[in-house]
Amino acid sequence: MIKIYTTAVCPYCKMAKQYFEKNKINFEEANVESDAQAREEMFQKSHQMGVPVIDIDGEIVVGFDRSAIEKLLKARS
Amino acid sequence: MSAARSGRARLAYRNFMYDLIIVGGGPAGVAAGIYAARKKIKSTIILESFGGQSLVSAGIENWIGTKSVSGFDFSQMLEAHLRAQEGIDIFDGDLVVKVEKEGDSFKVMTRDGKALEARTILVASGSKRRKIGVPGEAEFEGRGVAYCSTCDAPIFKDKDVAVIGGGNAGLETVVDLFAYASKIYLLEFGEALKGDPITQEKIKAHPKTEIILNAKTLEVLGDQFVTGLKYEDRKSGENKELKVGGVFVEIGSIPNADFVAGLVSVNKAGEIIVDHRTQESSLEGVWAAGDVTDVLYKQNNISAGDAIKAVLSIYDYLNKK
Repeated sequence: MIKIYTTAVCPYCKMAKQYFEKNKINFEEANVESDAQAREEMFQKSHQMGVPVIDIDGEIVVGFDRSAIEKLLKARS
Repeated sequence: MSAARSGRARLAYRNFMYDLIIVGGGPAGVAAGIYAARKKIKSTIILESFGGQSLVSAGIENWIGTKSVSGFDFSQMLEAHLRAQEGIDIFDGDLVVKVEKEGDSFKVMTRDGKALEARTILVASGSKRRKIGVPGEAEFEGRGVAYCSTCDAPIFKDKDVAVIGGGNAGLETVVDLFAYASKIYLLEFGEALKGDPITQEKIKAHPKTEIILNAKTLEVLGDQFVTGLKYEDRKSGENKELKVGGVFVEIGSIPNADFVAGLVSVNKAGEIIVDHRTQESSLEGVWAAGDVTDVLYKQNNISAGDAIKAVLSIYDYLNKK
């Protein structure tokens, strides 16, 4: 499962979402601005407060780090 | 994965000589790409992402022809305009790590292992954020120390925060935080704020802001997350502490010129010295434009204009050879 923790205006969150959309990979989005539970979950998983945080099957990527994401996706397929 | 990133594309370009390689995807790089394509210069552009440093701006209100545009939309506008051109190879998501001179031409190496050759280079790689370099800054990065208010301001809801730097970026960060933080301390090293007066007025009028001038940041304090900030009042010499849950750092930038280190002349700040008539660097065949250069004013509109100047100069150079 892929989950992206975002805030509304964050450009790197938009880039991350666009990346998964372009590559036709399903993901779930959690807005940490409006959803306090998602915010807590993001802190727990990433031990930090910056967005985006991308959870790919339990592996955590902080920020839109394209090469890290590509590596995890490759290992997945 | 795009074709440009596959091994096949890499092989196809082996021993292929471009006339021009553009490095960078901000307003300078993209303007150069568009002009180079329209001049039918055999060119390629290598960029990490579109939009340059303005990508993280909540709103750009001085890009001529556009009343207001978010940094993200700005990056998409640049990308769409460049992709509408024919005859320019775009390698995005990659980063130039080294440029070498080989006889009359240049070899450009990238992080992903590409090696491309060209007769001329245009460096439009912009600049990156300067860090304060005080104890606690690196330790608490992402744990209260933040560099992107457009991204992270909402996470500091109902918290007291400090913004370091009284230039435009610092002022805009304060504005981004109005909707979320309960109190915002703006710390400026000098005797006065430096950003645009129109934004200064906006933040001075806001009840959440407290401006602290002559403040030298000494340390970011915290346990698991940031809990405070220690600074020196440069007037009295006294050390003071603020209780804050977040620290946003906006103290200017450092040019991204490492990959041409030793090739071209740079000034004390590390900016590439150019001839401001043509944008040529000290080394024949290498031009530079935008924030990576010693241009006096770092502005999107100026970067685009300077890059266009560079491409026209490169066009003349290539035709003379």
